[in-house]
Amino acid sequence: MLSEVRFDGVYKIFGAETAVEDLNLTVNAGEFLVVVGPSGCGKTTTLRMLAGLERPSYGRITIGEKLVNNVSPRFRDVAMVFQSYALYPHMNVYDNLAFGLRAHGASGAVVDQRVKETADVLGLGHLLKRKPSELSGGQRQRVALGRALIRQPQVFLMDEPLSNLDAGLRVQMRAELSRLHQRFRVTTMYVTHDQVEAMTMGDRIAVMNTGRLQQVDAPETLYDSPANIFVAGFIGSPRMNFVPGRLATAQGKPAVEFLGVKAPLGAGARLTRDTDGGEVMVGIRPEDLVWRQVAPAEGTIAFPADVDVIEPMGHEAYVTAVCAGETVTSRFPPRSGVRTRERVELAFDPARLHLFDANLGDTILQRPVAGGAEAARSVREARMDESA
Amino acid sequence: MSAVAARRMTDKSLIVVPYRRVSISALATNGVLILLGSFFVLPLLWMLFASVDSNPDWAVKLPSLTLANFADVLDRPDAITSFRSSLILAGTTTVLTTVLALLAAYPLSRMHIPFRRSFMLAILFASGLPVSMLVVPVYQMYVYFGWLDSLYTTALFLAASSLPFAIWLMKNFIDAVPLELEHAAAIDGASTLRILRQVVLPLTVPGIAVTAIYTFINAWGAFIIPFVLTYSPENQPGPVEIYNFMGSHGLFKFGDLAVFSLLFSIPVIVLYLVMSRYFSGAFNFGGAVK
Repeated sequence: MLSEVRFDGVYKIFGAETAVEDLNLTVNAGEFLVVVGPSGCGKTTTLRMLAGLERPSYGRITIGEKLVNNVSPRFRDVAMVFQSYALYPHMNVYDNLAFGLRAHGASGAVVDQRVKETADVLGLGHLLKRKPSELSGGQRQRVALGRALIRQPQVFLMDEPLSNLDAGLRVQMRAELSRLHQRFRVTTMYVTHDQVEAMTMGDRIAVMNTGRLQQVDAPETLYDSPANIFVAGFIGSPRMNFVPGRLATAQGKPAVEFLGVKAPLGAGARLTRDTDGGEVMVGIRPEDLVWRQVAPAEGTIAFPADVDVIEPMGHEAYVTAVCAGETVTSRFPPRSGVRTRERVELAFDPARLHLFDANLGDTILQRPVAGGAEAARSVREARMDESA
Repeated sequence: MSAVAARRMTDKSLIVVPYRRVSISALATNGVLILLGSFFVLPLLWMLFASVDSNPDWAVKLPSLTLANFADVLDRPDAITSFRSSLILAGTTTVLTTVLALLAAYPLSRMHIPFRRSFMLAILFASGLPVSMLVVPVYQMYVYFGWLDSLYTTALFLAASSLPFAIWLMKNFIDAVPLELEHAAAIDGASTLRILRQVVLPLTVPGIAVTAIYTFINAWGAFIIPFVLTYSPENQPGPVEIYNFMGSHGLFKFGDLAVFSLLFSIPVIVLYLVMSRYFSGAFNFGGAVK
């Protein structure tokens, strides 16, 4: 019973505040969609509207074939994991897990069996008699997850479920959540502000900012072809470098001029439109900007810069350098011996450049898709499994 | 060692070493506290001593032991009926107030009600008004309705007068129940009634206990309202009965008075002991959120 979730022109307005603006988004059946964005971007409001805790001001929300705008949470057949877990503190783990089934009138034997099954899946079997206050953070998180799993709902909603865990546990639970999704294939909408969670867990990622959906794509697509400056800057760490540039031509082919160099846009690259006065914002990821000494001589372009900060990470180092008043971060090999205030040459492959409209912020560069679009990976196979 | 490090060490030792000495201000503080405390302890001591003294008077003195006072009081039928009256009066008041306060506090805590803040402030103000102010008009009203001299109608007014504070108290307890628990239960498929019964109510037990005890103790000790609204001897609750001990039976019987007061405080103490386990510890929100 895989269900698709659709938002059609959904708005949520609180007084003078527009929390969500004209949201058009489909979560495919069986897909793990991560909604990511900075705080206040409307992602949690979106999730709460899907849960039925908020009513959309305009637009339609459908789960499967059913319009749910006016359906109360209890009849939506969704399950939610809260950031705070929201476990019932006066009930033990067993009763916490059983609550939803009992509310749906399941018989004692069925409840017992399903609680045992779910507890086994999550490794909670020995904790069934404990109260939430007697559990560790990770265990509480599992109970919260179990309470959602046990219901076998059409849709899972997760509101930053890992943000209260410490770093190690978070990595572990991330893998576990992915595993659970592989196993049960329930349509999932997962809200987070953590781009690592988004990149590692999502079949697709929806990036939101100031109430607007910015881009929805598979993680690699999002990373390689961000639709605008916001997405480009939000996804990826360290952050993408942005420097002002100007459109130009080199040997009759489109090029861009920035930081004193002129870079051709590369084979197959196409400008979708001209910009006002040819002004653009050039984006280049730190890992695409490297030390001249380690860059291939063929096909790269270099410019000089003065080293400002060196951040050794162990397996590599991030070097922040200043060129023509612009600060850029670049990736250096470890133990490069480069020192602060030293002049270095930074090299990049023009094929890795991103171009954005300096005023509107959206991308104006279209490149041939590299490696093939892996959109909604493995969802289709899952659907085939289901029908087989 | 650098100068800075050295100074940090000295500073630290200055902070860490605890040093107690008898100072004048400490003496003065404790003296005042003992004086204030004695104002509360002395009457209780008098009650204890006088109850078993064969020849009690105003003073607090070591008793010449006897149980005659107890026998005396237990022989008086009006003393026994006053207990019954007090139980009916305070019990009815407590049940009424607690149920109504719970029903009023929940929506006040959870729903968007226009002018909710002003309403809550009005309630707080009302809870501060002295009840004796209302006695005359209420008496007239009771005469009009023919409600005089009934413990249940008297309880009605006691409940009305304790309701504002009870609502205020209860609302704060319900505020403390995380709203997310209700959302979680709603998404889990629970009906509103189920959410209230299985999630909100169990978590509000401490609040209910506190409100109930507070109301009971107030109603148990209420004097002026039952004094005005009841008159037949079988409807006189304890505090009015104590007044009778002091006035209308000629000489003051200090021993009987002490015994009755002692017996009269037992239900409150028992109630407190029974309910105290609900106050804290047994119920808290540990593990609910975060």
